[in-house]
Amino acid sequence: MANWSDIALATIPAAPLAAAIWCGTVAQVVRRTTAHRPVVLALALSLVAAAYVLFVVVPGSVVDSPAAHSQITPIESSGESLVKPISLIASETPASATGEHHGPAHKAYIFEVYRWMSVGGLTVDIVLRADAMTALMLVMVNFVSLLVAIFASSYMHGDKGYPRFFGAMALFVFSMNMLVLAGNFIEVFIFWEAVGLCSYLLIGHWYHKPSAAAAARKAFVVNRIGDFGLMTAIFLIYRTFGSVDFETVLDPARLAELAAAQPGLITTIALLLLLGAIGKSAQFPLHVWLPDAMEGPTPVSALIHAATMVTAGVYLIARTTPIFVHSPTAQLVVAGVGATTALVAAVTALCQYDLKRVLAYSTVSQLGYMFMALGAAAASPALAAHAETFAMFHLLTHAFFKAVLFLAAGSVMHAMGDVIDMRRFSGLKKALPITHITFLCGALALAGFPLLSGFWSKDEILAVVWEATQTGDYKTYFYLILGVGLLTSLLTAFYTFRAYYLTFHGPERFPEEAGHHPHDASPAMAIPLYILAALAVVAGLILGPTHIYAHYIEMTPNFPTAAPAGMNVGMMILSTVLALGGIGLAYSIYGKATRPEYSDARPLSLWENVSLNGLYLDQLYGALIARPMATLSAVCEFVDRMILDKIVDAVGLIPIIAGGMIRPLQNGLVSSYAAVMLLGVIVALASVLRAIASVT
Amino acid sequence: MTTLVFAMLLLPAIAAVLMLVLDAKATAARARGFALVATVATLILSWSVAYQLPATSQQAGPVTTRWEWRHTWLTLASPAPAPTVVNHEALSPNVIRGQSPEEPKNTASTSKPQDPSTSRSPSGDFINLEFYLGLDGLGMAMILLTTGLCVSAILVSWSEIRERSAEFYAGILILEAGLIGVFLAYDLILFYAFFEFTLLPLFLTIGVWGGPKRRYAAGKFFIYTLAGSLVMLLGLVSLVVETQSLTGISTPFSMPDMARALQDQPLPVETQTILFLLIATGFLIKVPMFPFHTWLPLVHVEAPTAGSVDLAGVLLKLGCYGFLRIAIPMLPDASLTVGQPLVAILAVIGVVYGSLCAYHQTDIKRMVAYSSIAHLGVCMLGLFALNAEGLSGGICMMINHGLATGALFSLVGMIHERYHTRSLTDLGGLASRIPLLSALLVFISFASIGLPGLNGFIGEILSLLGMFQVSAIYAVIGTTGVVLSAWYLLRMVQVGLFGPLREPAGDHSHVSDLTVREGLAIWPLALACLGLGLFPQTLLNLIEPDVKALAVIYYEPDEVIVQKTDAIQPSFAMTNSTAIVTSDQAVETISSIQTGERR
Repeated sequence: MANWSDIALATIPAAPLAAAIWCGTVAQVVRRTTAHRPVVLALALSLVAAAYVLFVVVPGSVVDSPAAHSQITPIESSGESLVKPISLIASETPASATGEHHGPAHKAYIFEVYRWMSVGGLTVDIVLRADAMTALMLVMVNFVSLLVAIFASSYMHGDKGYPRFFGAMALFVFSMNMLVLAGNFIEVFIFWEAVGLCSYLLIGHWYHKPSAAAAARKAFVVNRIGDFGLMTAIFLIYRTFGSVDFETVLDPARLAELAAAQPGLITTIALLLLLGAIGKSAQFPLHVWLPDAMEGPTPVSALIHAATMVTAGVYLIARTTPIFVHSPTAQLVVAGVGATTALVAAVTALCQYDLKRVLAYSTVSQLGYMFMALGAAAASPALAAHAETFAMFHLLTHAFFKAVLFLAAGSVMHAMGDVIDMRRFSGLKKALPITHITFLCGALALAGFPLLSGFWSKDEILAVVWEATQTGDYKTYFYLILGVGLLTSLLTAFYTFRAYYLTFHGPERFPEEAGHHPHDASPAMAIPLYILAALAVVAGLILGPTHIYAHYIEMTPNFPTAAPAGMNVGMMILSTVLALGGIGLAYSIYGKATRPEYSDARPLSLWENVSLNGLYLDQLYGALIARPMATLSAVCEFVDRMILDKIVDAVGLIPIIAGGMIRPLQNGLVSSYAAVMLLGVIVALASVLRAIASVT
Repeated sequence: MTTLVFAMLLLPAIAAVLMLVLDAKATAARARGFALVATVATLILSWSVAYQLPATSQQAGPVTTRWEWRHTWLTLASPAPAPTVVNHEALSPNVIRGQSPEEPKNTASTSKPQDPSTSRSPSGDFINLEFYLGLDGLGMAMILLTTGLCVSAILVSWSEIRERSAEFYAGILILEAGLIGVFLAYDLILFYAFFEFTLLPLFLTIGVWGGPKRRYAAGKFFIYTLAGSLVMLLGLVSLVVETQSLTGISTPFSMPDMARALQDQPLPVETQTILFLLIATGFLIKVPMFPFHTWLPLVHVEAPTAGSVDLAGVLLKLGCYGFLRIAIPMLPDASLTVGQPLVAILAVIGVVYGSLCAYHQTDIKRMVAYSSIAHLGVCMLGLFALNAEGLSGGICMMINHGLATGALFSLVGMIHERYHTRSLTDLGGLASRIPLLSALLVFISFASIGLPGLNGFIGEILSLLGMFQVSAIYAVIGTTGVVLSAWYLLRMVQVGLFGPLREPAGDHSHVSDLTVREGLAIWPLALACLGLGLFPQTLLNLIEPDVKALAVIYYEPDEVIVQKTDAIQPSFAMTNSTAIVTSDQAVETISSIQTGERR
């Protein structure tokens, strides 16, 4: 008798995979215009299964002990008591400040699919491994995916590649689910690449556009640089641990032993993992692919390049926290990368005219926040739990508010005839009321307006960085990080509302592509917008201050333990002031009637240019990497054709030349042959005579 | 089984001869139809052989067969003096020689043959020349690759070859027979004969049906590889002489017997080194590794599609195969002390250099040729890791590169047939005109890039993982190939397939998407890429015993790992242990089978 947990776990990836296969084969021929139906259905199924995993499977997976069993039994009931199991466990796992874990110890629920390969000492199984962190990611991924798919069914209507789009989308959700469910590093890598492939395919969905084709390639190649790090990390992990399974590698006792013996090794592994995460999560200096990735259809930007795939790097580092806690160096780098990214991206976002690019840079910047939080544990291992929890919490809230922002931007684009340049439209408040209100919810959440979801998660990140400034050896460093975090918080509020005011306020202007009466979101687009907007407003309040989220994620095996975080009121007030200040600043410049009108003709100041061009990083990389590589490639090609090959040809000439040198000997003249023969006879005779002489 | 193997070996050769003798002036339609039937029949035969191939070998030693047929055709008095006992301490201590338990210890009298199955002659004073065919997992995998690719090669030549069709298809069939022969040959003379024999049909294929510079290309290809082979021949002959005089085995050309004898009594390190360098010359040119690769791009550009498919798909692998059959099992000290650093350095240079050269190409076919150099660099990196992971990875890479590159060349050939150009300066945005063909090209490109889930990844990660256990730095440089291959292949995809449609001058509205015939050529390869990516264990199981036998020379089997594998795969462990327990009986069985076959 198959048990429900296995069925639920298997459904999560299987349903989207089946939908993807349908879209890739049958839907290419028949039912092209309804290709979204199987996808939406599959995602709904996956979401239900993910919820089952969240509420039943994970809380039920405890290390076998009688005490633990008695606590978990009442969970089977469903319906109104959905939240109950969490609070139940929350109340029964009073992790004390000393780090002792009194509650039931949780283990991962593992469902083996098949043995992928087994060579020498290396065994790689494809497994579905569910624990608390996985369950939270799964619910988020499938929930956002479902809403985005519903949105896209209307948004992409009439597209030539409609089934192809939904096929790639379903394949993406499958890969993302598998990435989150992976039980070993090679499995992670497989689906890490698979989501990269889907991203490539979806960015390049409109492949006839040269910019889309270029952006797709750029995304894949830059990601591969990160993958190089991840791959090398896996090699090193295998060499060190003789295994790639999470259960073996992430064993805290063994890691502690190893860290004591070889701290350098742990740091190397951690930094290589970080390189992988930097690529996928678009962190500085590899963040340049994400803004270009906005060439893809907007639902793709919302799903892959804001809510899910780009958070894989954060997930990877959170997942490997047991490794990172043993390497303060690596964590300092994580925090530094995060802070740099947050600031650079925020500065770049200030002067963008493309609404989607503003949001893309904002995504990069918010991911930087998550990295900042993850690195905060460098100050003291005791902070690890908070660091990880808050990074993952920001990941969740960010998924909601950034998805609504992107989908609203998509709605704007839909109405404006695919124009997204904020210089070409304004005052859309009246024309697009649904889009306006949902965008505003998302913008307020992103800016960190009090009590909205972004406020709670961002505040907690700042709080944990604040804690890092109070302990440990790196106080100055973390003060710097905190400063950057606060500054970025101000900038975030400013650029978000700059975009908001430029788009929705001011005189009503439409580009000619839009026609005369732009239409607001259709129901299929409006419903996801409303749901996500609602979550952007309330999710933080429900899950944050109540510690529901924090207590749930603590059920992750090998999760560092700590006391529940208290409210950092000072930090809250400070971040509120900054958020309101940023919004106010944006209002004072762009919200009033006298706001500067943009036109292509207006000359930009130096700083505006720097910001608009993303600190000229693309140009810098072009000059420092891409062009030298192309030159080197030309040089190699030249060397190959003109030098190496010519050497081969020259060697080939040797027999001809040598032959030419001996050829005169065979001149066909009998007299010269006779002379040579005579010479030979003389030599022969001489040697014979010598031999005789020596014998006698 | 024996009948089947002989049928598989002879069928293409007989078909070719029949075609030339009976119907040399056949029309293209008749010739290709006949050739297709012959290759498909060979394909079916090769699969039936694969189904009957035992899962493990009954023999011990680094080179084993799971099926064999040997026939002594000449017995000579041994020219060598009575063998002397060699001082083992003088040898390199680097090699940990795993004495497999099933190996009978015959150190007391070294003049006796090491394995009872070789005891044809009562005394060591005779040497036997044999016709020795055998099959193991590696050979089987390569044969399946060959027979599969040959069907595709015939299908992609369908409309490309219009002149002297009978001769062309006969050439492809003879090539197929020769390649199958190489992978069946377990006797050095036979091996060398088949190895060189494959040159002839390919030489003619390129020289007669190739592009504008076909004569130059064919001549260069032939002379270059032949020169290397002659140096190798010198090495092989010396190896035989040295082995015979050292160990006194009665079958000094039999690869399994040589390997077994040398495992017990290795040659002195200096001798091994010289022999290794001589033998490696031929194989390095064949692979080809930097800096011996310059013939490859030239030949690919000039060769007809079918020639490229077979050349890149199978012929290049003969170099890797030679290392696996001869250098690695018989010259372990040299492979470890000289071979590993030498090959690793050349391989990593090849990976980076080949990728850089590939990026600059505008001719897609030339780009694929350079990508082969990079990919085979990774393959050799894996083989010379000399551990189970690396060897498996290298072998997977051989198969997978054959599939992916064969498919790539086929697709490029299809594009060439439509537009009569392969240049990225003339072509662009083809996805708008030929969507299905473009989708397949993207798919195969990703297989070649090494996307997980497709076959290329398996070989790549295992090779690099294996090398990383030995030397991190080579593996890390090799891993840059991961970034670089995406860089150049996706550039080709971006320029050639995406963007606005660009076609050469002239009317191309009649250009059609993938035809059924082309589909038959390419879909099986694409599906094999996907299948091996999802279920790599099928291939790994096939080659596992062979890899184990080789790896055990270099690394003592780790007890922990062995136990783990036993626990996981009880069925396999059981067959293995029964083989150990009853090794004497097994030997008897083998000899009885052999005597039976000789009668």
